[in-house]
Amino acid sequence: MDMPPKSILKKTAEKPADPRHLKVALHHANALEDRKRVERDVLEAIMTLMDFPASPNADAKRPSPADASHFQDAVLIFQPSDYDALIEERNIADRCGYALCSRPTRKARSTARKQFVDTDHGVQIVERKVLEVWCSDDCAKRALYVKVQLSEDPAWMRQGGLGEKIELMVENAEEHHKALPLRLKQEGASTSDDDKELLDAAWAAQADAMANLALERGEKPGQLSKANGDLIQDQIMERGFSIAPPQPPSLPAQASDHTMAIEGHVPRINRKDRDDDEDEDDAQDWDKLLPG
Amino acid sequence: MEGERTSATLIRLWRVWRTTKEMMNDRGYIVVEDDMTMALDEFTRKFAREDGEPDRSRLNFSCQPSQDMLAKYTDAPTKKVPNPVPNIGNIWIEFNHDENVGMKQLREYMTHLVQGSFHSGIMVTVKPMTGMAVRFLRASTTLSDGPKGGIEVFVEQDLLVNITKHELVPKHVLLSDAEKSQLLERYRLKQTQLPRIQATDPVAKYLGLRRGSVVKIIRKSETAGRYASYRWVI
Repeated sequence: MDMPPKSILKKTAEKPADPRHLKVALHHANALEDRKRVERDVLEAIMTLMDFPASPNADAKRPSPADASHFQDAVLIFQPSDYDALIEERNIADRCGYALCSRPTRKARSTARKQFVDTDHGVQIVERKVLEVWCSDDCAKRALYVKVQLSEDPAWMRQGGLGEKIELMVENAEEHHKALPLRLKQEGASTSDDDKELLDAAWAAQADAMANLALERGEKPGQLSKANGDLIQDQIMERGFSIAPPQPPSLPAQASDHTMAIEGHVPRINRKDRDDDEDEDDAQDWDKLLPG
Repeated sequence: MEGERTSATLIRLWRVWRTTKEMMNDRGYIVVEDDMTMALDEFTRKFAREDGEPDRSRLNFSCQPSQDMLAKYTDAPTKKVPNPVPNIGNIWIEFNHDENVGMKQLREYMTHLVQGSFHSGIMVTVKPMTGMAVRFLRASTTLSDGPKGGIEVFVEQDLLVNITKHELVPKHVLLSDAEKSQLLERYRLKQTQLPRIQATDPVAKYLGLRRGSVVKIIRKSETAGRYASYRWVI
Protein backbone atom coordinates (compact mmCIF):
# COMPACT_ATOMS: atom_id res chain seq x y z
CA MET A 1 0.00 0.00 0.00
CA ASP A 2 2.76 2.41 0.91
CA MET A 3 4.04 3.45 -2.44
CA PRO A 4 6.88 5.89 -2.57
CA PRO A 5 5.93 9.12 -4.32
CA LYS A 6 6.55 8.84 -8.00
CA SER A 7 8.29 11.60 -9.77
CA ILE A 8 6.30 13.27 -12.50
CA LEU A 9 9.43 14.59 -14.13
CA LYS A 10 10.66 13.08 -17.29
CA LYS A 11 13.32 10.57 -16.61
CA THR A 12 16.57 11.56 -18.19
CA ALA A 13 18.20 8.42 -19.33
CA GLU A 14 21.89 8.65 -18.70
CA LYS A 15 23.51 7.96 -21.98
CA PRO A 16 26.93 6.42 -21.88
CA ALA A 17 29.54 8.86 -23.11
CA ASP A 18 30.26 8.37 -26.76
CA PRO A 19 33.88 7.32 -27.09
CA ARG A 20 33.95 8.93 -30.51
CA HIS A 21 33.32 12.36 -29.02
CA LEU A 22 36.18 11.91 -26.66
CA LYS A 23 38.39 10.88 -29.53
CA VAL A 24 37.42 13.91 -31.62
CA ALA A 25 37.96 16.26 -28.71
CA LEU A 26 41.33 14.74 -27.97
CA HIS A 27 42.32 14.92 -31.61
CA HIS A 28 41.61 18.64 -31.80
CA ALA A 29 43.19 19.35 -28.45
CA ASN A 30 46.34 17.53 -29.51
CA ALA A 31 46.44 19.42 -32.80
CA LEU A 32 46.21 22.74 -30.95
CA GLU A 33 48.84 21.66 -28.48
CA ASP A 34 51.09 20.61 -31.32
CA ARG A 35 50.66 23.95 -32.99
CA LYS A 36 51.52 25.84 -29.83
CA ARG A 37 54.60 23.72 -29.38
CA VAL A 38 55.77 24.35 -32.93
CA GLU A 39 55.22 28.10 -32.60
CA ARG A 40 57.24 28.14 -29.42
CA ASP A 41 59.98 26.14 -31.08
CA VAL A 42 60.08 28.54 -34.01
CA LEU A 43 60.36 31.47 -31.62
CA GLU A 44 63.19 29.82 -29.72
CA ALA A 45 64.96 28.86 -32.94
CA ILE A 46 64.80 32.46 -34.14
CA MET A 47 66.12 33.65 -30.80
CA THR A 48 69.16 31.40 -31.03
CA LEU A 49 69.72 32.02 -34.73
CA MET A 50 69.61 35.78 -34.14
CA ASP A 51 73.01 35.61 -32.42
CA PHE A 52 74.42 33.05 -34.80
CA PRO A 53 77.17 32.05 -35.50
CA ALA A 54 78.81 31.96 -32.11
CA SER A 55 82.35 32.69 -33.24
CA PRO A 56 82.92 36.17 -34.67
CA ASN A 57 85.14 35.01 -37.54
CA ALA A 58 82.90 32.29 -38.91
CA ASP A 59 82.85 32.14 -42.68
CA ALA A 60 79.56 31.77 -44.55
CA LYS A 61 81.30 29.87 -47.32
CA ARG A 62 82.87 27.31 -45.05
CA PRO A 63 80.74 27.02 -41.90
CA SER A 64 81.80 24.62 -39.21
CA PRO A 65 79.90 21.31 -39.29
CA ALA A 66 78.41 21.94 -35.84
CA ASP A 67 77.04 25.36 -36.85
CA ALA A 68 75.75 24.04 -40.14
CA SER A 69 73.92 21.09 -38.64
CA HIS A 70 72.41 23.27 -35.92
CA PHE A 71 71.19 25.71 -38.53
CA GLN A 72 69.77 22.93 -40.68
CA ASP A 73 67.88 21.39 -37.78
CA ALA A 74 66.53 24.70 -36.53
CA VAL A 75 65.36 25.87 -39.91
CA LEU A 76 63.54 22.64 -40.72
CA ILE A 77 60.35 23.67 -38.91
CA PHE A 78 60.30 27.11 -40.50
CA GLN A 79 57.89 28.38 -43.09
CA PRO A 80 59.29 30.89 -45.57
CA SER A 81 57.58 33.68 -43.62
CA ASP A 82 59.36 32.59 -40.44
CA TYR A 83 62.61 32.68 -42.35
CA ASP A 84 61.84 36.23 -43.49
CA ALA A 85 61.19 37.16 -39.87
CA LEU A 86 64.56 35.72 -38.92
CA ILE A 87 66.27 37.83 -41.60
CA GLU A 88 64.41 40.91 -40.37
CA GLU A 89 65.42 40.30 -36.77
CA ARG A 90 69.03 39.76 -37.75
CA ASN A 91 69.04 42.98 -39.74
CA ILE A 92 67.73 44.88 -36.73
CA ALA A 93 70.60 43.44 -34.72
CA ASP A 94 72.85 44.68 -37.55
CA ARG A 95 73.88 41.28 -38.82
CA CYS A 96 73.86 39.83 -42.29
CA GLY A 97 70.56 38.11 -43.01
CA TYR A 98 72.22 34.75 -43.61
CA ALA A 99 72.36 33.03 -40.25
CA LEU A 100 75.74 31.40 -40.90
CA CYS A 101 77.41 34.72 -41.67
CA SER A 102 78.94 36.76 -38.87
CA ARG A 103 79.53 39.98 -40.76
CA PRO A 104 77.38 43.10 -40.39
CA THR A 105 75.08 44.14 -43.20
CA ARG A 106 76.28 46.11 -46.16
CA LYS A 107 75.86 49.85 -45.69
CA ALA A 108 74.20 51.97 -48.31
CA ARG A 109 76.13 54.98 -49.55
CA SER A 110 73.81 57.48 -47.89
CA THR A 111 70.89 57.41 -45.50
CA ALA A 112 68.40 58.32 -48.20
CA ARG A 113 65.29 56.17 -48.40
CA LYS A 114 65.81 55.32 -52.06
CA GLN A 115 69.15 54.62 -53.63
CA PHE A 116 70.58 54.44 -57.13
CA VAL A 117 72.24 51.13 -57.84
CA ASP A 118 74.27 50.12 -60.89
CA THR A 119 73.14 46.75 -62.14
CA ASP A 120 73.56 44.79 -65.35
CA HIS A 121 70.31 46.25 -66.61
CA GLY A 122 71.42 49.81 -66.01
CA VAL A 123 70.79 52.08 -63.05
CA GLN A 124 67.92 51.07 -60.80
CA ILE A 125 66.25 52.77 -57.89
CA VAL A 126 66.14 50.50 -54.87
CA GLU A 127 64.92 51.07 -51.34
CA ARG A 128 67.62 51.40 -48.75
CA LYS A 129 66.01 48.70 -46.63
CA VAL A 130 66.41 46.19 -49.43
CA LEU A 131 70.05 47.13 -49.90
CA GLU A 132 70.96 46.68 -46.27
CA VAL A 133 69.84 43.09 -45.83
CA TRP A 134 72.95 41.12 -46.74
CA CYS A 135 76.67 41.60 -46.38
CA SER A 136 77.25 40.52 -49.97
CA ASP A 137 75.42 39.13 -52.97
CA ASP A 138 77.01 35.80 -52.24
CA CYS A 139 75.36 35.59 -48.81
CA ALA A 140 72.04 36.57 -50.35
CA LYS A 141 72.33 33.67 -52.75
CA ARG A 142 73.19 31.22 -50.00
CA ALA A 143 70.37 32.41 -47.76
CA LEU A 144 67.76 32.29 -50.50
CA TYR A 145 68.99 28.83 -51.47
CA VAL A 146 67.80 27.74 -48.03
CA LYS A 147 64.55 29.68 -48.26
CA VAL A 148 63.34 28.01 -51.42
CA GLN A 149 63.67 24.61 -49.76
CA LEU A 150 61.38 25.49 -46.87
CA SER A 151 57.92 24.02 -46.90
CA GLU A 152 54.96 26.34 -47.29
CA ASP A 153 52.78 24.37 -44.87
CA PRO A 154 53.24 25.04 -41.21
CA ALA A 155 55.13 22.30 -39.39
CA TRP A 156 52.11 21.12 -37.40
CA MET A 157 50.18 20.39 -40.60
CA ARG A 158 52.93 18.48 -42.37
CA GLN A 159 52.10 14.88 -43.04
CA GLY A 160 54.72 12.25 -42.56
CA GLY A 161 57.36 13.99 -40.53
CA LEU A 162 59.20 17.19 -41.18
CA GLY A 163 60.57 16.27 -44.58
CA GLU A 164 64.09 15.88 -45.65
CA LYS A 165 67.09 17.78 -44.49
CA ILE A 166 67.70 21.29 -45.76
CA GLU A 167 70.64 21.47 -48.10
CA LEU A 168 73.18 24.23 -47.69
CA MET A 169 75.29 25.93 -50.29
CA VAL A 170 78.75 25.37 -48.87
CA GLU A 171 82.23 24.94 -50.25
CA ASN A 172 83.39 22.43 -47.68
CA ALA A 173 80.63 19.95 -48.38
CA GLU A 174 82.88 16.94 -47.84
CA GLU A 175 83.49 17.97 -44.21
CA HIS A 176 79.78 18.02 -43.55
CA HIS A 177 79.27 14.67 -45.15
CA LYS A 178 81.93 13.17 -42.93
CA ALA A 179 79.82 14.14 -39.99
CA LEU A 180 77.01 11.93 -41.24
CA PRO A 181 76.59 8.86 -39.07
CA LEU A 182 75.92 6.35 -41.80
CA ARG A 183 78.50 5.31 -44.36
CA LEU A 184 77.37 2.41 -46.47
CA LYS A 185 80.23 2.28 -48.93
CA GLN A 186 83.60 1.25 -47.66
CA GLU A 187 86.39 2.35 -49.90
CA GLY A 188 89.04 -0.30 -50.52
CA ALA A 189 87.37 -2.91 -48.36
CA SER A 190 89.14 -6.21 -48.94
CA THR A 191 87.57 -9.58 -48.31
CA SER A 192 90.37 -10.89 -46.16
CA ASP A 193 89.50 -12.40 -42.77
CA ASP A 194 90.62 -9.31 -40.88
CA ASP A 195 88.14 -7.21 -42.73
CA LYS A 196 85.33 -9.70 -42.43
CA GLU A 197 84.05 -8.14 -39.22
CA LEU A 198 84.11 -4.76 -40.80
CA LEU A 199 82.20 -6.12 -43.74
CA ASP A 200 79.62 -7.69 -41.48
CA ALA A 201 79.22 -4.41 -39.69
CA ALA A 202 78.71 -2.70 -43.02
CA TRP A 203 76.04 -5.21 -44.00
CA ALA A 204 74.34 -4.75 -40.65
CA ALA A 205 74.44 -1.00 -41.18
CA GLN A 206 72.93 -1.50 -44.60
CA ALA A 207 70.17 -3.66 -43.15
CA ASP A 208 69.48 -0.89 -40.66
CA ALA A 209 69.40 1.65 -43.42
CA MET A 210 67.01 -0.49 -45.44
CA ALA A 211 64.75 -0.80 -42.40
CA ASN A 212 64.82 2.96 -42.01
CA LEU A 213 64.00 3.38 -45.67
CA ALA A 214 61.09 0.98 -45.31
CA LEU A 215 59.81 3.08 -42.41
CA GLU A 216 60.15 6.17 -44.53
CA ARG A 217 58.06 4.53 -47.24
CA GLY A 218 55.37 4.16 -44.63
CA GLU A 219 55.68 0.44 -44.06
CA LYS A 220 55.15 -1.01 -40.65
CA PRO A 221 57.56 -3.60 -39.35
CA GLY A 222 56.24 -7.08 -39.90
CA GLN A 223 54.13 -6.05 -42.86
CA LEU A 224 54.73 -7.19 -46.38
CA SER A 225 57.37 -4.94 -47.80
CA LYS A 226 56.39 -2.70 -50.64
CA ALA A 227 59.78 -3.28 -52.14
CA ASN A 228 58.96 -6.97 -52.16
CA GLY A 229 61.27 -9.19 -54.11
CA ASP A 230 58.33 -11.15 -55.51
CA LEU A 231 57.04 -8.16 -57.38
CA ILE A 232 60.14 -7.74 -59.46
CA GLN A 233 61.68 -10.84 -60.95
CA ASP A 234 65.05 -11.03 -62.50
CA GLN A 235 64.01 -13.61 -65.10
CA ILE A 236 62.40 -12.10 -68.11
CA MET A 237 59.83 -14.28 -69.83
CA GLU A 238 57.97 -13.66 -73.01
CA ARG A 239 54.23 -14.02 -72.91
CA GLY A 240 52.79 -16.93 -74.92
CA PHE A 241 51.58 -16.03 -78.40
CA SER A 242 49.36 -17.76 -80.98
CA ILE A 243 50.56 -18.79 -84.39
CA ALA A 244 47.29 -18.01 -86.16
CA PRO A 245 47.52 -14.87 -88.29
CA PRO A 246 45.43 -11.97 -87.08
CA GLN A 247 42.02 -11.68 -88.67
CA PRO A 248 40.75 -8.43 -90.05
CA PRO A 249 37.68 -7.25 -88.20
CA SER A 250 34.40 -7.97 -89.92
CA LEU A 251 31.22 -6.01 -89.78
CA PRO A 252 28.52 -7.57 -87.71
CA ALA A 253 25.95 -9.41 -89.78
CA GLN A 254 23.01 -7.22 -90.77
CA ALA A 255 19.93 -7.87 -88.71
CA SER A 256 17.81 -7.24 -91.75
CA ASP A 257 19.18 -7.85 -95.20
CA HIS A 258 17.24 -4.88 -96.46
CA THR A 259 19.71 -2.31 -97.73
CA MET A 260 17.53 0.62 -96.77
CA ALA A 261 17.07 -0.45 -93.16
CA ILE A 262 17.84 2.24 -90.62
CA GLU A 263 18.73 0.60 -87.35
CA GLY A 264 16.56 -2.35 -88.26
CA HIS A 265 13.59 -0.24 -89.32
CA VAL A 266 12.71 -0.24 -92.95
CA PRO A 267 11.16 3.01 -94.12
CA ARG A 268 7.81 2.58 -95.76
CA ILE A 269 8.67 4.23 -99.07
CA ASN A 270 11.19 1.66 -100.01
CA ARG A 271 9.39 -1.28 -98.60
CA LYS A 272 8.95 -3.83 -101.31
CA ASP A 273 6.50 -6.30 -99.91
CA ARG A 274 3.36 -6.21 -97.75
CA ASP A 275 2.87 -2.60 -98.75
CA ASP A 276 -0.74 -2.39 -99.87
CA ASP A 277 -2.72 -4.09 -97.15
CA GLU A 278 -1.08 -2.17 -94.33
CA ASP A 279 -1.74 1.18 -95.89
CA GLU A 280 -5.48 0.62 -95.73
CA ASP A 281 -5.54 0.29 -91.97
CA ASP A 282 -3.26 3.14 -91.17
CA ALA A 283 -5.11 5.71 -89.11
CA GLN A 284 -2.53 8.29 -90.00
CA ASP A 285 -3.66 8.43 -93.56
CA TRP A 286 -6.84 10.20 -92.77
CA ASP A 287 -6.08 12.92 -95.32
CA LYS A 288 -6.72 10.49 -98.12
CA LEU A 289 -10.41 10.59 -97.27
CA LEU A 290 -10.65 14.30 -97.67
CA PRO A 291 -12.19 15.53 -100.88
CA GLY A 292 -9.77 16.91 -103.43
CA MET B 1 60.52 82.79 -34.16
CA GLU B 2 59.82 80.55 -31.21
CA GLY B 3 57.35 78.34 -33.10
CA GLU B 4 59.63 77.95 -36.07
CA ARG B 5 62.50 76.65 -34.04
CA THR B 6 60.63 73.72 -32.51
CA SER B 7 60.71 70.78 -34.85
CA ALA B 8 57.69 68.68 -35.77
CA THR B 9 59.08 65.59 -34.06
CA LEU B 10 59.55 67.55 -30.87
CA ILE B 11 55.93 68.71 -30.88
CA ARG B 12 54.77 65.18 -31.58
CA LEU B 13 56.84 63.80 -28.77
CA TRP B 14 55.62 66.49 -26.40
CA ARG B 15 52.05 65.35 -26.99
CA VAL B 16 53.00 61.69 -26.67
CA TRP B 17 54.81 62.34 -23.43
CA ARG B 18 51.89 64.29 -21.96
CA THR B 19 49.45 61.56 -22.94
CA THR B 20 51.71 58.98 -21.34
CA LYS B 21 51.79 60.96 -18.10
CA GLU B 22 48.00 61.28 -18.18
CA MET B 23 47.70 57.57 -18.83
CA MET B 24 49.83 56.78 -15.81
CA ASN B 25 47.72 59.13 -13.75
CA ASP B 26 44.49 57.52 -14.95
CA ARG B 27 45.82 54.11 -14.07
CA GLY B 28 46.48 55.28 -10.54
CA TYR B 29 50.21 55.90 -10.45
CA ILE B 30 51.56 58.97 -8.72
CA VAL B 31 52.23 61.63 -11.31
CA VAL B 32 53.25 65.22 -10.73
CA GLU B 33 50.45 67.54 -11.81
CA ASP B 34 52.83 69.87 -13.66
CA ASP B 35 54.04 67.09 -15.93
CA MET B 36 50.57 66.56 -17.35
CA THR B 37 50.08 70.22 -18.14
CA MET B 38 53.61 71.03 -19.20
CA ALA B 39 53.79 73.66 -21.91
CA LEU B 40 55.75 73.11 -25.08
CA ASP B 41 58.30 75.77 -24.13
CA GLU B 42 59.21 74.07 -20.94
CA PHE B 43 59.30 70.69 -22.64
CA THR B 44 61.68 72.08 -25.25
CA ARG B 45 63.92 73.52 -22.57
CA LYS B 46 64.04 70.25 -20.69
CA PHE B 47 64.25 67.58 -23.34
CA ALA B 48 65.47 69.08 -26.61
CA ARG B 49 69.00 68.66 -27.80
CA GLU B 50 70.90 71.57 -29.20
CA ASP B 51 69.81 70.80 -32.77
CA GLY B 52 66.16 71.07 -31.75
CA GLU B 53 65.44 67.36 -31.94
CA PRO B 54 64.07 65.58 -28.87
CA ASP B 55 66.39 63.50 -26.73
CA ARG B 56 64.36 60.38 -26.12
CA SER B 57 66.67 58.82 -23.59
CA ARG B 58 65.99 61.72 -21.21
CA LEU B 59 62.23 61.15 -21.46
CA ASN B 60 62.26 57.78 -19.72
CA PHE B 61 60.68 57.81 -16.30
CA SER B 62 59.39 55.50 -13.63
CA CYS B 63 56.19 55.65 -11.61
CA GLN B 64 55.07 54.41 -8.23
CA PRO B 65 51.54 53.20 -7.63
CA SER B 66 49.40 55.23 -5.24
CA GLN B 67 47.81 53.77 -2.11
CA ASP B 68 44.42 53.55 -3.80
CA MET B 69 45.90 51.69 -6.69
CA LEU B 70 47.73 49.26 -4.45
CA ALA B 71 44.47 48.53 -2.66
CA LYS B 72 42.64 48.08 -5.93
CA TYR B 73 45.12 45.59 -7.28
CA THR B 74 45.18 43.51 -4.12
CA ASP B 75 43.06 40.37 -4.20
CA ALA B 76 40.55 39.79 -1.44
CA PRO B 77 42.12 37.75 1.37
CA THR B 78 41.26 34.07 1.34
CA LYS B 79 41.90 31.28 3.80
CA LYS B 80 44.92 30.13 1.87
CA VAL B 81 46.30 33.64 1.34
CA PRO B 82 45.30 35.70 4.37
CA ASN B 83 47.64 38.58 3.50
CA PRO B 84 47.69 38.98 -0.28
CA VAL B 85 50.32 41.20 -1.87
CA PRO B 86 49.27 43.74 -4.50
CA ASN B 87 49.73 42.65 -8.11
CA ILE B 88 51.24 45.95 -9.05
CA GLY B 89 54.47 47.76 -8.45
CA ASN B 90 56.86 50.25 -9.90
CA ILE B 91 56.67 50.75 -13.62
CA TRP B 92 59.36 51.88 -16.04
CA ILE B 93 58.40 53.79 -19.15
CA GLU B 94 60.93 53.89 -21.93
CA PHE B 95 60.87 55.90 -25.14
CA ASN B 96 62.74 53.85 -27.71
CA HIS B 97 64.54 55.80 -30.42
CA ASP B 98 65.26 52.95 -32.85
CA GLU B 99 63.59 53.04 -36.20
CA ASN B 100 62.89 49.30 -36.14
CA VAL B 101 62.16 47.51 -32.93
CA GLY B 102 62.68 43.78 -32.90
CA MET B 103 63.29 41.01 -30.46
CA LYS B 104 66.76 42.37 -29.70
CA GLN B 105 65.47 45.62 -28.19
CA LEU B 106 62.65 43.83 -26.43
CA ARG B 107 65.01 41.39 -24.77
CA GLU B 108 67.33 44.19 -23.68
CA TYR B 109 64.35 46.03 -22.25
CA MET B 110 63.24 42.94 -20.37
CA THR B 111 66.64 42.41 -18.78
CA HIS B 112 66.71 46.08 -17.83
CA LEU B 113 63.34 45.74 -16.11
CA VAL B 114 64.40 42.64 -14.23
CA GLN B 115 67.69 44.21 -13.16
CA GLY B 116 65.95 47.37 -11.98
CA SER B 117 63.41 45.11 -10.20
CA PHE B 118 60.49 46.85 -11.86
CA HIS B 119 57.15 45.12 -11.70
CA SER B 120 56.10 46.05 -15.22
CA GLY B 121 57.11 48.21 -18.13
CA ILE B 122 55.81 50.23 -21.02
CA MET B 123 57.82 50.75 -24.16
CA VAL B 124 56.89 53.53 -26.55
CA THR B 125 58.25 52.92 -30.02
CA VAL B 126 58.57 55.13 -33.07
CA LYS B 127 57.17 52.52 -35.44
CA PRO B 128 55.29 49.27 -34.85
CA MET B 129 57.62 46.46 -33.91
CA THR B 130 58.24 43.39 -36.00
CA GLY B 131 55.79 40.52 -36.15
CA MET B 132 58.14 38.11 -34.46
CA ALA B 133 58.62 40.58 -31.60
CA VAL B 134 54.84 40.70 -31.14
CA ARG B 135 54.79 36.93 -30.92
CA PHE B 136 57.67 37.04 -28.48
CA LEU B 137 55.78 39.54 -26.34
CA ARG B 138 52.72 37.31 -26.29
CA ALA B 139 54.80 34.28 -25.33
CA SER B 140 56.74 36.21 -22.69
CA THR B 141 53.69 36.56 -20.47
CA THR B 142 54.08 32.89 -19.68
CA LEU B 143 57.85 33.12 -19.48
CA SER B 144 59.37 33.09 -16.05
CA ASP B 145 62.40 35.27 -16.69
CA GLY B 146 60.51 38.42 -17.64
CA PRO B 147 59.11 41.07 -15.31
CA LYS B 148 56.13 39.90 -13.24
CA GLY B 149 53.64 42.44 -14.48
CA GLY B 150 54.50 42.03 -18.13
CA ILE B 151 55.37 44.54 -20.80
CA GLU B 152 53.10 46.75 -22.85
CA VAL B 153 54.18 48.31 -26.10
CA PHE B 154 52.65 51.45 -27.56
CA VAL B 155 53.38 53.14 -30.84
CA GLU B 156 53.94 56.89 -30.59
CA GLN B 157 51.14 57.52 -33.03
CA ASP B 158 48.60 55.86 -30.72
CA LEU B 159 49.48 58.24 -27.93
CA LEU B 160 49.37 61.51 -29.86
CA VAL B 161 45.84 62.08 -28.61
CA ASN B 162 44.39 61.01 -25.31
CA ILE B 163 41.44 58.94 -26.49
CA THR B 164 39.65 58.96 -23.15
CA LYS B 165 39.11 62.70 -23.50
CA HIS B 166 36.94 62.22 -26.55
CA GLU B 167 33.30 62.99 -25.83
CA LEU B 168 32.10 59.68 -27.23
CA VAL B 169 34.36 57.60 -25.01
CA PRO B 170 32.59 56.79 -21.74
CA LYS B 171 34.36 56.63 -18.43
CA HIS B 172 35.95 53.27 -17.65
CA VAL B 173 36.62 52.37 -14.03
CA LEU B 174 38.43 49.22 -13.04
CA LEU B 175 36.82 47.26 -10.21
CA SER B 176 38.91 45.73 -7.49
CA ASP B 177 38.64 42.05 -6.68
CA ALA B 178 36.34 42.73 -3.71
CA GLU B 179 34.10 45.03 -5.75
CA LYS B 180 33.89 42.45 -8.47
CA SER B 181 32.73 39.70 -6.15
CA GLN B 182 30.22 42.14 -4.63
CA LEU B 183 28.84 42.91 -8.04
CA LEU B 184 28.52 39.25 -8.97
CA GLU B 185 26.79 38.53 -5.70
CA ARG B 186 24.42 41.47 -6.04
CA TYR B 187 23.21 40.43 -9.46
CA ARG B 188 23.65 36.69 -8.81
CA LEU B 189 25.85 36.28 -11.81
CA LYS B 190 28.78 34.23 -12.81
CA GLN B 191 31.51 36.34 -14.33
CA THR B 192 31.05 34.56 -17.65
CA GLN B 193 27.53 35.98 -17.82
CA LEU B 194 28.77 39.55 -17.99
CA PRO B 195 29.15 41.40 -21.27
CA ARG B 196 32.73 41.40 -22.42
CA ILE B 197 35.46 43.75 -23.55
CA GLN B 198 38.59 42.70 -25.36
CA ALA B 199 41.96 43.31 -23.77
CA THR B 200 43.02 44.72 -27.14
CA ASP B 201 40.31 47.37 -26.99
CA PRO B 202 41.95 50.83 -27.17
CA VAL B 203 40.59 51.93 -23.81
CA ALA B 204 41.47 48.58 -22.26
CA LYS B 205 45.01 48.99 -23.56
CA TYR B 206 45.10 52.55 -22.25
CA LEU B 207 44.12 51.40 -18.78
CA GLY B 208 46.28 48.30 -18.95
CA LEU B 209 43.35 46.01 -18.16
CA ARG B 210 44.20 42.41 -17.58
CA ARG B 211 42.24 39.37 -18.56
CA GLY B 212 39.62 38.38 -16.03
CA SER B 213 39.10 41.78 -14.43
CA VAL B 214 35.81 43.66 -14.58
CA VAL B 215 35.48 47.25 -15.69
CA LYS B 216 32.59 49.59 -14.92
CA ILE B 217 31.55 51.78 -17.80
CA ILE B 218 29.63 54.94 -16.99
CA ARG B 219 27.81 56.52 -19.93
CA LYS B 220 25.75 59.63 -20.20
CA SER B 221 22.13 58.82 -20.82
CA GLU B 222 19.44 61.23 -21.97
CA THR B 223 16.74 59.46 -20.00
CA ALA B 224 18.55 58.17 -16.95
CA GLY B 225 21.27 60.74 -16.52
CA ARG B 226 24.00 58.22 -16.01
CA TYR B 227 24.02 54.59 -16.94
CA ALA B 228 26.53 52.10 -15.61
CA SER B 229 27.35 48.82 -17.24
CA TYR B 230 29.96 46.24 -16.43
CA ARG B 231 32.23 44.37 -18.76
CA TRP B 232 34.49 41.42 -18.24
CA VAL B 233 37.92 41.69 -19.84
CA ILE B 234 38.87 38.76 -22.04
